[in-house]
Amino acid sequence: MTDAALSTTTIAARTDAGEPSVSPWKRALLYALLLAVSFLMLYPLLWMVASSFKPDSEIFTSTGLVPTDLTVDAYRRGWNGLSIGFGWMFFNSLVISLLVVVGNLFSCSMAAYAFTRLHFKGRGFWFTLMLGTLMMPQHAVLIPQYVMFLKLGWVNSILPLVVPKFLAIDAFFIFLMVQFFRGIPRELDEAAIMDGCGPLRIFLKVILPLSTPVLATAAVFSFIWTWDDFFAPLIYLNDIEKYTAQLGLRTFVDSTGTSDWGSLFAMSTLTVLPIFILFILFQRLLIEGIATTGMKR
Amino acid sequence: MSTLGTTERPVAGGRFRFGDSLAGYGFLAPWLVGFFLLTLGPAIASFYLSLTDYSGLGAANWVGAENYVRIATDDPRFWTAMNVTFTFVLLSVPLKLVFALAVAVALNRGLSGLSFFRAIFYLPSLVGGSVAVAVLWRQVFAGDGLLNQALNTLFGFEGPSWISNPSTSLYTLVLLAVWQFGSSMIIFLAGLRQIPQDMYEAASIDGASKARQFFKITLPLLTPVIFFNAVILTIDAFKAFTSAFVISDGTGGPIDSTLFYTLYLYQEAFTNFRFGYASALAWVLVLIIAFFTAMSFLTARFWVHYDD
Repeated sequence: MTDAALSTTTIAARTDAGEPSVSPWKRALLYALLLAVSFLMLYPLLWMVASSFKPDSEIFTSTGLVPTDLTVDAYRRGWNGLSIGFGWMFFNSLVISLLVVVGNLFSCSMAAYAFTRLHFKGRGFWFTLMLGTLMMPQHAVLIPQYVMFLKLGWVNSILPLVVPKFLAIDAFFIFLMVQFFRGIPRELDEAAIMDGCGPLRIFLKVILPLSTPVLATAAVFSFIWTWDDFFAPLIYLNDIEKYTAQLGLRTFVDSTGTSDWGSLFAMSTLTVLPIFILFILFQRLLIEGIATTGMKR
Repeated sequence: MSTLGTTERPVAGGRFRFGDSLAGYGFLAPWLVGFFLLTLGPAIASFYLSLTDYSGLGAANWVGAENYVRIATDDPRFWTAMNVTFTFVLLSVPLKLVFALAVAVALNRGLSGLSFFRAIFYLPSLVGGSVAVAVLWRQVFAGDGLLNQALNTLFGFEGPSWISNPSTSLYTLVLLAVWQFGSSMIIFLAGLRQIPQDMYEAASIDGASKARQFFKITLPLLTPVIFFNAVILTIDAFKAFTSAFVISDGTGGPIDSTLFYTLYLYQEAFTNFRFGYASALAWVLVLIIAFFTAMSFLTARFWVHYDD
């Protein structure tokens, strides 16, 4: 893993360099090729969004992006297509995702601080175990976790989706923060110690304020992955009024079958919209996060 | 500089104090609780359950290795799931690597607009696991879907329903996975930037062609990143779930042609409530993943180039 932990600064620094002396013709050809490939890759997504504004009859007859007749009918049908409105399910998703963000930031930053700044017996041992959990597939613990939450009476509530995040279960974020905290000069801690600060004050007043980039990265990834998550809500949430948007969408697929693609596309578009927005706002953080740790999607 | 009997190395200028130990475990407490209650405990419990006939209700009766014996000798759907999953892994991972590397190399030529392309190619990775994209895929590869409409318009070719045909359905999921090559590409780009430019300049002066430079400089120096990507992608591919679930309505159909291992595991656990048997399935998956990971690390020294 060490070799892939590549420095992020190099990404930003070298946009203008690259291999020299590519002839203008080759360059133009390369651009054309890249544009064609990106267009082809994005086409299904663009078409989905465009189709959600088309009259239903047009979805199966038009491969184009421009609707002849712009309509939001599909959105109206889809929004109330289930016994519970999609608005409620978006609200559920939002609550869960925000709580997960808080939980991950709280617990993972504490663990990362302990691993990078505090000295205690067994630190190396726990750190190795933490890295080990990064590799471990969730399936190994899935069923006992489910049974445990069942016995606690937590199934069919958001607790199984949220509480584990307050216990730093997403080791990926600990790893991400450890990488970042290591780069914060120790002289700052020492100066704070001179001023009489204890570990807690150093954490709150020195480390956290300097860590906004990594905290933001962790927050955005937490939000997106939780928003997108399908498996955990599928297992833990049974009542439709507790559904997340993803579960709602999949139930909607079941209930409409293939009879109303327009409203399916409309609701699909809405469920990815928050991700698009976060992507546009924070793409730099996301891309650097991927490049530094090289993990996950 | 005293170490007060701990094995840890003191940091320059710092020293150990008892209070630090207390603080250390204080800050680590949430993680420690989570580790014992949500990882270690359940891992042990799931191994125990795999030796029982537990159904979620009533007692867990000890059955010894029976679940594992049944998996190996008397469960055709397990072998179907293995077949589907391995086909998926062995096709999607290499294709993803090749695409990711090719695009990364193309982007690494000092083009302006790099960040634009990088963002566009990354976007599918970000949304690809969502239900929405699975819904979209269902339509695109349906009999009257976007792909066949396009084929018909462009070539007058009447395509089949790729999704509901068992001989092609899995390949639509492979394509969906390959479509998400962006995150690997970003890691490759970061790796390419670590290669010193003067190596290429020296090679050019020696008259090495671009292709030769790629095979003699870029590829060998990139092997650690290729290795890393391959391991991560393989683990991820074994765990693929959502797209197969949504596209097949949770069945793994048509006729089990998209019965991913995780989907089969889900059905056994949460549709049939065979928690004991599903735990055994889970451990088999963990062992398969561990085996692949270990093999990659063992073979790494023969092909991964590390600077020393």
